[in-house]
Amino acid sequence: MIFDIAVLGGGPAGMAAATEAAKGGARVVLLEESPLPGGQVYRAPPAGFAMKPDRDRQEGDALRAALAASGADIRTGCRVWGLGGGPLVPAGQPDAPFSLSALGADGVPFTVQARALILCCGTHERIIPFPGWTLPGVIGLAAATILLKAQGILPGQRVVVAGAGPLLYAVAAKLLAGGGSVAAVVDAATPGEWLRALPALTARPDLLAQGMAWRAKLLAARVPVLLGAQVTAAEGAKVLGSVRVGDRVFEADALCIGHGLVPATEASRTYRARHVHRPEDGGWVPVLDVAQRTSVPFLYAAGDGAGVRGAAAAPAAGRLAARTALHDLGFKAQHRVQSDAALAHARRTGAAMARMMALRPAMIEAIPAETIICRCEGVTRNAIENAAAAGANTINQLKHFTRCGMGPCQGRMCGEAAGALLAKARDVSVADIGFSTGRIPLRPVPMEAILGDFDYADIPVPAPAPI
Amino acid sequence: MKLRIVNVMRPESVTITLGGVPIRAHPGESLAAALIAAGHWRFGEGEDPARPRTAFCMMGVCQQCLLRVDGRLVQGCLTPVVAGQQVTSA
Amino acid sequence: MTSRFDIAVIGAGVMGCATALFLARGGMRVVLLDRGEICREASGVNAGTLTMQMTRAALIPYALHAHEMWMTMPAWCAGGDVLATSCPGLSVAFTDKEAAMLEERARIRREAGAPIELIDGRAAQAIEPGLADGVKLAGHCPIDGFASAYLTGRAFRAALQEAGVTLMEATPVRGIDGRFVLDTAAGAIAAQRVVLAGGVWLQDMAAWLGVMLPIKVLINQLVVTERMPPVMQTVLGVASGLLSLKQYANGTVLIGGGWQGIGDRARGGVAVRPENFLGNVRLAAHTVPALRNARVVRSWLGLEAETADALPAIGPIPGIDDAWIIGSVHSGYTSGPYMGRILAQAILGEAPELPLFPIDRLLHQRSNSA
Repeated sequence: MIFDIAVLGGGPAGMAAATEAAKGGARVVLLEESPLPGGQVYRAPPAGFAMKPDRDRQEGDALRAALAASGADIRTGCRVWGLGGGPLVPAGQPDAPFSLSALGADGVPFTVQARALILCCGTHERIIPFPGWTLPGVIGLAAATILLKAQGILPGQRVVVAGAGPLLYAVAAKLLAGGGSVAAVVDAATPGEWLRALPALTARPDLLAQGMAWRAKLLAARVPVLLGAQVTAAEGAKVLGSVRVGDRVFEADALCIGHGLVPATEASRTYRARHVHRPEDGGWVPVLDVAQRTSVPFLYAAGDGAGVRGAAAAPAAGRLAARTALHDLGFKAQHRVQSDAALAHARRTGAAMARMMALRPAMIEAIPAETIICRCEGVTRNAIENAAAAGANTINQLKHFTRCGMGPCQGRMCGEAAGALLAKARDVSVADIGFSTGRIPLRPVPMEAILGDFDYADIPVPAPAPI
Repeated sequence: MKLRIVNVMRPESVTITLGGVPIRAHPGESLAAALIAAGHWRFGEGEDPARPRTAFCMMGVCQQCLLRVDGRLVQGCLTPVVAGQQVTSA
Repeated sequence: MTSRFDIAVIGAGVMGCATALFLARGGMRVVLLDRGEICREASGVNAGTLTMQMTRAALIPYALHAHEMWMTMPAWCAGGDVLATSCPGLSVAFTDKEAAMLEERARIRREAGAPIELIDGRAAQAIEPGLADGVKLAGHCPIDGFASAYLTGRAFRAALQEAGVTLMEATPVRGIDGRFVLDTAAGAIAAQRVVLAGGVWLQDMAAWLGVMLPIKVLINQLVVTERMPPVMQTVLGVASGLLSLKQYANGTVLIGGGWQGIGDRARGGVAVRPENFLGNVRLAAHTVPALRNARVVRSWLGLEAETADALPAIGPIPGIDDAWIIGSVHSGYTSGPYMGRILAQAILGEAPELPLFPIDRLLHQRSNSA
């Protein structure tokens, strides 16, 4: 059977998109990697866990409940590795249905086909490398959120929280509430940046109040909050022991650090949609029209994966994408392009936060020469600059010269910093450096899992080349 | 288990092994979280640049928490604890 | 910008680079142009197989010379290195039909000069302990090996500069006027001679000179695993030629063999076909069972050019003095540097060590030459 609409990613945008599409009468399938829908911010704890629900949980539960009632086919715990169809056809052939190959939660491979595909792939965390960032005990800020909120586990007894954006204070407050100790909060943003963001934050008084409450908790716990500062090194023999911030050293057994969010565009790149580099949106993003259409017919994108605007803005974008897809597929759906005031407010606040979390060129410049940029392949800043001097012009060429981005994470963690370093070394814009070509598998897949049962005779070996 | 936040209700803990050594963990926790809670930050030793492996992104992206569970390669952050799992480094 | 070069080489793949390098060393003032970056198409993304057992029989003498060049690359390429590794190669047959095919093909290749001996499955496993059971027959060639193809551009670049070649990357050539003014994105570039070295785009390039040279485009898929402990130590293929397998020093295993993806001359490599991806990794895991333990991290595509008779197009362009062509060499990476060397010899007025592959045989019709 061919679905009308497939939704890739079950975060707030994806949950809302699938719900809206199913309510509009479409046959919908939602594919999500985690055991439960929710995404990162609205992530649900595992079955059998109960913790004090916060606002995010309530928002997430509402979206989950609506999704469950929508009639959409929800496939969680599955790993989508193969993308095909759509525009990926031989020249002269009409576009095909989108085709997604996946491993089910039960380990059984399956493929779904759909006439339209909505990408709600979210983001991954940006880490601007610094000496010692690969030391065990150093984790992402979003990673810390997942540990705290979905697992009920503290990353350490005494934790330094560092980076940029509102997540810093959320993580620090959660650590305190969970009984942990916060050695310091190291915020890259200056007091001036926070002041400039204030007008946009007032569009969401609820969030502003939450932010103030977090800050008050830190104050009460006498946690040092360093503004306009950055971690200069993580230190320790085999695991993290201390965190250096300039000439100050904080003993810590965990460092939670993140410098913003990067839209996950692997799928839209694989489908060869047009992309544009917009630092204020998080970096490379698919080009969208006002109704969430990418440049590829029947391919849509919504949520942070299409440009960082935060979880609050994501459901409305997901619904809009769903209504557009319904309309394009010929369903008699109410097709409203204009967004509502709440969405506008959420987007405004999200944009202010996204600006604060955008890549900071000064931090890139401050990376010491011997610092590892690509952790999978052990490529340092030095190696990247040497490659630039030896003639590497683009991110794809940099891969060839250094193996930067050729390891298991495929440049998801290092791509931005590597691109910025290469751009700087060549004195061109990051947009000129380009992005790495999107290719399957979407995520690494164990060969054993995708092989399935097969007989040698069943392998469709094409005719051999001439001798 | 002092890293587990106290006012969280969890299913009864079970035993898994890490390199043959028993560890208590709660079913449904991610293996990566369970290892961190048990004080194991180093997930894999070795020579290649990606090691020592350790949990980093907790959301399936960075590939650093690769583990072998009952012989199969899994990402620790995406794999729930199940009683009796035999976990080794990848 | 107009400048006068002795020769313009269009296309900075392995053949264009080698031709340009040896021409410059022969005393010519050379400009090497590419619409993209050096060795970023087929020359940088192929499987790096340096095998005789996938090479067409007619090309074996060339491939043997080229194998020697790859293994000694730093010595003749100003230190440029593709980490070429020499190891035995095995081409295996799992069925009687494949065994018959292997016997015939090994014989033909042996007659052409490749030292291939036929051995049984047990003997093959002694050479390659990673090999699966069930091999009925194997072709064993001690002259085999592999390179890291992605290093090719980096390896040639410094040598080209040292030899005085003017390398112009990201400079598409749009056409050729007169004898010879290249219409490029960076302005007109004049040269007394021209070499077309544009891989699958040779058809378009030949048309600039009014020559109709049909070139077929193969869209070869490749797959790579993440680093894993050693599982094999040879270059492995199957008799049909649809598998090439080797493990690099860094532990990654490259799985190729010419399974076809989606793409064309105009769009380049569009997409890996998931079903062919699966077929290719199944064939690989069938051949080396330990690969079941690997994770696949990436696939990609390379565009291979093929003439009507699947033999190379290397030589002068008929009817146009001082215009040359090089490309469409089956297993072109394997033989590439040697092909560039002998074409350079011909252009420099020397007798090539081995014969070229003139394209007269491939030209059914020709419009007015430029």
